[in-house]
Amino acid sequence: MSVTSFSLPRLPLSRRHVLIGGAGLGAGLLLPSLAGAQTKLQVTEGNVAPLPIAIPDFVPGSPADGEVSAGVAQVITNNLRRSGLFAPIDPAAFIEKIVNVDAAPQFASWKSINAQALVTGRMTRRSDGRLHAEFRLWDVAAGQQLTGQQYDTAPEFWRRIAHIISDQIYERLTGEKGYFDSRVVFVDESGPAERRVKRLALMDQDGANVRYLTRGTDLVLTPRFSPSTQEITYMEFGQGDPRVYLRNIETGQTEIVGNFPGMSFSPRFSPDGQRVIMSLQQGGNSNLFVMDLRSKSTTRLTDTPAIDTSPSYAPDGSRICFESDRGGKPQIYVMPATGGAAQRISFSKDDTNGSYSTPVWSPRGDYIAFTKQGGGQFSIGIMKPDGSGERILTSGFHNEGPTFAPNGRVLMFFRDPGGNSGPSLFTVDISGRNEQKVPTPGFASDPAWSPLLS
Amino acid sequence: MKVDKTLIASVALHVLVIGWGLVSFSARSLEAPPPESMPVDIISADQLSRITAGIKSGEKDKPKPLVEKVADATPVDDNVGKITEKKEIVTASAPEPPPKPVEKPVEKKPDPPKPVADSKPKDEPKPIEKKPDPPKVDPIAEALKSEDAKKPVPKPQAKAAPPQPPKPKQERTFDQSKIAALLDKRDPTRQSITGAALNSSASLGSTHGNAPSLSQSELDAMRARLASLWNVQPGVEHPEELYVTVRIRLNPDRRLAAPPEVVSTGNSPRYQAAADAAVRAVLQGQPYTMLRDETYDQWKYMDIDFDPKQMFHS
Repeated sequence: MSVTSFSLPRLPLSRRHVLIGGAGLGAGLLLPSLAGAQTKLQVTEGNVAPLPIAIPDFVPGSPADGEVSAGVAQVITNNLRRSGLFAPIDPAAFIEKIVNVDAAPQFASWKSINAQALVTGRMTRRSDGRLHAEFRLWDVAAGQQLTGQQYDTAPEFWRRIAHIISDQIYERLTGEKGYFDSRVVFVDESGPAERRVKRLALMDQDGANVRYLTRGTDLVLTPRFSPSTQEITYMEFGQGDPRVYLRNIETGQTEIVGNFPGMSFSPRFSPDGQRVIMSLQQGGNSNLFVMDLRSKSTTRLTDTPAIDTSPSYAPDGSRICFESDRGGKPQIYVMPATGGAAQRISFSKDDTNGSYSTPVWSPRGDYIAFTKQGGGQFSIGIMKPDGSGERILTSGFHNEGPTFAPNGRVLMFFRDPGGNSGPSLFTVDISGRNEQKVPTPGFASDPAWSPLLS
Repeated sequence: MKVDKTLIASVALHVLVIGWGLVSFSARSLEAPPPESMPVDIISADQLSRITAGIKSGEKDKPKPLVEKVADATPVDDNVGKITEKKEIVTASAPEPPPKPVEKPVEKKPDPPKPVADSKPKDEPKPIEKKPDPPKVDPIAEALKSEDAKKPVPKPQAKAAPPQPPKPKQERTFDQSKIAALLDKRDPTRQSITGAALNSSASLGSTHGNAPSLSQSELDAMRARLASLWNVQPGVEHPEELYVTVRIRLNPDRRLAAPPEVVSTGNSPRYQAAADAAVRAVLQGQPYTMLRDETYDQWKYMDIDFDPKQMFHS
């Protein structure tokens, strides 16, 4: 699944561009002395809206490449639209037909359809059969190339090329890291409600390329991605007690994490991928333990007569947030990664006196997402690691299990409408905007987002 | 010897202090001009209006320009009905003509005024005023007259005096009006400020009579245009970090003379994206047709701040 990439050189500047650049430089030299005479204008209201962007089909290197050329543009369009930050323009409105990606487009014709950005690209087949992709991102108003890249990969990975290009566009135009070149592991659910079959499944973040990792003979829950390897950890009900497993998603190799008496559950990788933190049952209580995957040494982190579970590391590995009912109802606590005093951070400020569970630390470190239960509703929300700034993103009959996209800006969770229906996956921006259903083959729950693949 | 040393020391110190004062104060004065230029312009507006009035009186030869620019605003309050008649006459001929017109208005000049129509009345009051003005006129006004009108200045006074007498012969009321005009020196200024100033400036073809200042409506219109084009990313985090200042230089055609320059600082990719969005808004906004020619000096260089934080209160 290798993709090689290298930067696409900028197109040679036309003479006009050079002249404008020179004028700008001259102005820059002159202006400082005039700073005191400037008229100041302050603009504090803007057009808070998705950025209009034009993504015409890529130019096929040969007629045989037409399908993949259109497909790449379609995947990019779909990614950017689903992000809620871009408004891809209907190709029917396009005036100019891009035929040569080595020449600057006619910006006036793209300006006239209100495109602020334009993506052009080409897909060609190398003599060795590999796929060669090039793209350029243009600022229509300024008439400048913002970025350009080219990639080589095997033809079957053309969707990854499209995701990588989507990330490049997203990063350049928003300044945030992208998240499109990533995958999601989840629990696929099928069959009647009383005999639901649950299988581990893997898919691209946009719902494509679904693969089933288990046959569904055993119940599986809470899969989690390794941040550094092609492995997942999850809980499976085997013949005995439920146990935490480790599975290589490429080879299918599976092993039990540790050999503990009683039930182990709620596993999650450390940020460096070298350890797994989980809950171990001890009588009616459970406490947090961390196991080093190489040395197999296990360290106890909590020792309380309560249920401590759902641990999640801060991205720098220094702290852990987890759920505990040591205060009565389940709440979220934060403690050092080596154990020690835990500080409660979740306090319901409304009259529901709600409880908090399934905390997960953002890969950016700035928020902790949670499930909040209260007032007959399950809500997905975020708060800062000190417990301030709580923000509820969605509420309803049953919403649970948030997981962050690699860039920390989007959450995925599952929602169950109740009745004879089943759960589905949704994404929502951490601002609470742009809720989108994620296409899955059947019912789906317990999603976990992978890190960026590249 | 010792005494000499002390003297030398004190002299040296004085020289240093005085020299420092000269340098520092002179430096300050040099720095001051830019901000002060604004008030100076405002003050000059009045003077310019007077000057323009004088010019009008001076220009006997070119009545047309005056007529064209004069709008509706020329009502002369102070003048008596007779004066109004004079006004019509005067207007036709521009500033200098008035002197003659005063006599002629009744006789000859009434005809020219008609073609001119509305615009003339405005001019008339001025000419009347101007007659008094020459004696009292400010040196600046005279200088301007001499420059612009050259000949007119001397003529108006000389001619004005003679023409007037004839009028009194016909109607003594004219004398009163002249007296009023003399007393009314203030009035001319008023008139010049309102309608007359514009006319005069136009006729002269010289720069600006009224103090040009960017009106709030111009700024609001420009702000609204930029706001409509400024695409802000929905749900952006920490918008207070994305304050972008764009410096632009505009040509008189209201288009950018050079690419917009981002003068605020920020190195993060998010800031780069925000700066790009601000620049796109500025680029798309041209030409800025809401800006008036008269205020070009004030919109030639502009710093535009794009501040998104008020849009995201949560």
